[in-house]
Amino acid sequence: TMLPLLLLLLPAAHAIVEHVAYTPVLTTTPVLEGLTTASTFVLEQPRCVFEKYSNADIWLVVALEKTATTFNNSVAPGTPESAFQNFPDNAPAYMTLNATLANYPCAKSPGDITVLRVGSETSCTDDKARPTCNGPLSGPGPYLVKFLALEGSEPVAETGWSKPIMLRTAKSFNSISMTNGGHGAGMIAITTILSILFAILLAGLVAMLVFWGSDSCGGSSTFSKPESVTVRRYNTHHVYDQPSARL
Amino acid sequence: MAKSDDCIHILQGLLVFGNVVIGMCGIALTAECIYFVSDPHGLYPLLEATENNDIYAAAWIGIFVGFALFALSILGIVGILKSDRTLLLVYIILMLITFAFEMASCITAATHRDSLTPNLFLKQMLERYQQITANNNDKSMTEGVTKTWDKIMVQNHCCGVMGPSDWQEYTSAFRLTHSDADFPWPRKCCVLDAQGLPINLDGCKLGVPGYYNSNGCYDAISGPVNTHAWGVAWFGFAILCWTFCVLLGTMFYWSGIEY
Repeated sequence: TMLPLLLLLLPAAHAIVEHVAYTPVLTTTPVLEGLTTASTFVLEQPRCVFEKYSNADIWLVVALEKTATTFNNSVAPGTPESAFQNFPDNAPAYMTLNATLANYPCAKSPGDITVLRVGSETSCTDDKARPTCNGPLSGPGPYLVKFLALEGSEPVAETGWSKPIMLRTAKSFNSISMTNGGHGAGMIAITTILSILFAILLAGLVAMLVFWGSDSCGGSSTFSKPESVTVRRYNTHHVYDQPSARL
Repeated sequence: MAKSDDCIHILQGLLVFGNVVIGMCGIALTAECIYFVSDPHGLYPLLEATENNDIYAAAWIGIFVGFALFALSILGIVGILKSDRTLLLVYIILMLITFAFEMASCITAATHRDSLTPNLFLKQMLERYQQITANNNDKSMTEGVTKTWDKIMVQNHCCGVMGPSDWQEYTSAFRLTHSDADFPWPRKCCVLDAQGLPINLDGCKLGVPGYYNSNGCYDAISGPVNTHAWGVAWFGFAILCWTFCVLLGTMFYWSGIEY
């Protein structure tokens, strides 16, 4: 009778954490401009994943790629070992975004955008009284995340670790190069043509002033000013006596 | 000599016609440059903050050149009809001076236009938008830049120079006072309702299409600036080409006058 009792007790000693076949992933639809920023990223909600665990609390575990392996599933949320404020210096990962199955119903109403924004709570970043704060991340990563379902304080199910998530790094604005693309064709055309025209006009002016007084260029085509005085023809008396000379 | 008289009259007629066109173009140039200087699109603060607003200097020169062209064209018409050597000499010399000024204006407008690249506006926006500065001189420039950008982004439904990612790709004065998680981009980049508040703040922060402005504002800025620069440069160039022909004709006419 001792043997069956021992056999009964054995499974209860180790908590079996079911490994759910789901990998957390960044949102793919709709295409979001702010999918990753310098301190936040946006995950798809784990819908239709934890259907069997209606009593469990589903937590999001965020770790750095290099510290993910040191995370122990039996770490309780809300303790310093999993506090956001201690990440990443004193804690390998933090747990946040507490939810239940009711928050992730399997039936998705069309048109709804179902996302989880990691890093959206800015008010509790330094508040040690809020260790489950969903605060903005301070480095570019790369980060790994997974979902962990806890019943009471026992982990009962977990998803796999996600692929590494890199956040954006901002370059300094002083690095923007201000070298012009050179001068446009229009500006060069305007400058050359106008310079040539101006030079011709100056040459013409010089020619005008140099030849002032000499009739050399316009000799044959000079014309007289319109006279305001008319010249009267004078006929002497003796001309009238000789009609033949009147021509 | 009737034929020579006819030629003279034709030349006189052509020159008078040329001067009439110059006079009208002078008035048109003045009107166009006054329009540009009045800054109907409100972009002057952006150009002032680049500390190089030669395009406005070119427009101011254009106003005075336009008046000068109008006045000189009248002088020219009088001189041609009277065939007065002195008047025409004065006309030619003053016209050459006006030509030189207008040439400077055209070249300045064209050159400065080439320097207004997207990177220039991007750097200025990142440096000055919502910058907190103690220097009084800078303060008015910074406020001008901030107000102008707010107005541009709301009126044209755009964000940043190339897009909202400008605010993510580069550090900025804005980023110093507004956290990345709360303000991935300024609130003015969100689609606003009638009261000027975002219709869906979370949607805007996430970058959901329809709740934020995804286009860049460079087209909205460079369009009017290009029109301004090319209006001054190319119209001035056309006037100068016409003036060149009229002046050559006048010089030829002058050299043929008996005195």
